[in-house]
Amino acid sequence: MTVQTGTWLARKKWILIAVGVPVLVAAWWAFRPEKLWINQKVNEPAPFASTTDAQPLYTGRLEGKAHQTSGRATIYKSSDGREYLRLTDFTTSNGPDVHVILARSDDKDLDQEIVKDNLDSVELGALKGNQGDQNYDLPATADPTKYSAVVIYCERFHAIFGLAKLEPF
Amino acid sequence: MIRNIQAAIPLAAMAFTLALQPSVNAQDSKAKTLETGTFHGKVHSTSGRATIYREQNGKLILRLTNFKTSNGPDVHVVLIAAKDAADDANFLKGNTERVELGSLKGNEGDQNYEIPSGTDLSKYQTVSIYCERFNANFGAAPLEKF
Repeated sequence: MTVQTGTWLARKKWILIAVGVPVLVAAWWAFRPEKLWINQKVNEPAPFASTTDAQPLYTGRLEGKAHQTSGRATIYKSSDGREYLRLTDFTTSNGPDVHVILARSDDKDLDQEIVKDNLDSVELGALKGNQGDQNYDLPATADPTKYSAVVIYCERFHAIFGLAKLEPF
Repeated sequence: MIRNIQAAIPLAAMAFTLALQPSVNAQDSKAKTLETGTFHGKVHSTSGRATIYREQNGKLILRLTNFKTSNGPDVHVVLIAAKDAADDANFLKGNTERVELGSLKGNEGDQNYEIPSGTDLSKYQTVSIYCERFNANFGAAPLEKF
């Protein structure tokens, strides 16, 4: 009895190995589970020499709130270390006392079209034009990591014409 | 008087060339940023930025920055002919047209991929980190004009 079980087990074992090992190897090859823990880091340089050009730091698309607004807002650092905001493909509606400001992107005030209380913001200047490419110098106090939303803001009516939430470039 | 004029001619020529210099420099344009977008991916958390540049010689380059995804088998970078790939649509439809840019060089870090010449960027609007073996979309970055 014991002998019979032994041979049956031994035969079964070889079948199990013959079938199981290729299955395991195939499964490993297909899923490569070890890659879940192994990282492959690379750090290629940019494919062009652009050290003398202004470097984009943050960028985002403008979206309309109280008025239809579109375009791109990008914060650049120029080679002399100055930071400035540049609006491109920009269109908004014209209006009274419209300014470009930076605000905190997690500020609840930005959810509404009209701001009720005082908006925690950094003033960049009066809107130069309601259409076209334009630049605004960032004051040294403006920290784009803290104030990461560009808001086209009508001071007179506290209306948010449009805003862009910036993300690292 | 004549001597004065003779001296003035080279000076004027110098001033002329100096005045011309900036306009010559202005034409010397470097790589142009065409499109950019950020990655999203839920199934395999993917983040970072994808940007397409056009080099001076006309070559198109896709560059990934601040990039991070999970490592996996047979992962490629592709451009797909779609506005975006939804997070919950983990698998790309078999008929989704795509342009192969190469195997993913690393699952972390900055990296560049050449885009085949003649690729229509107005048609291929999304970068996908794509596992060929399982037809899985690790993450996607819809591109928008920079």
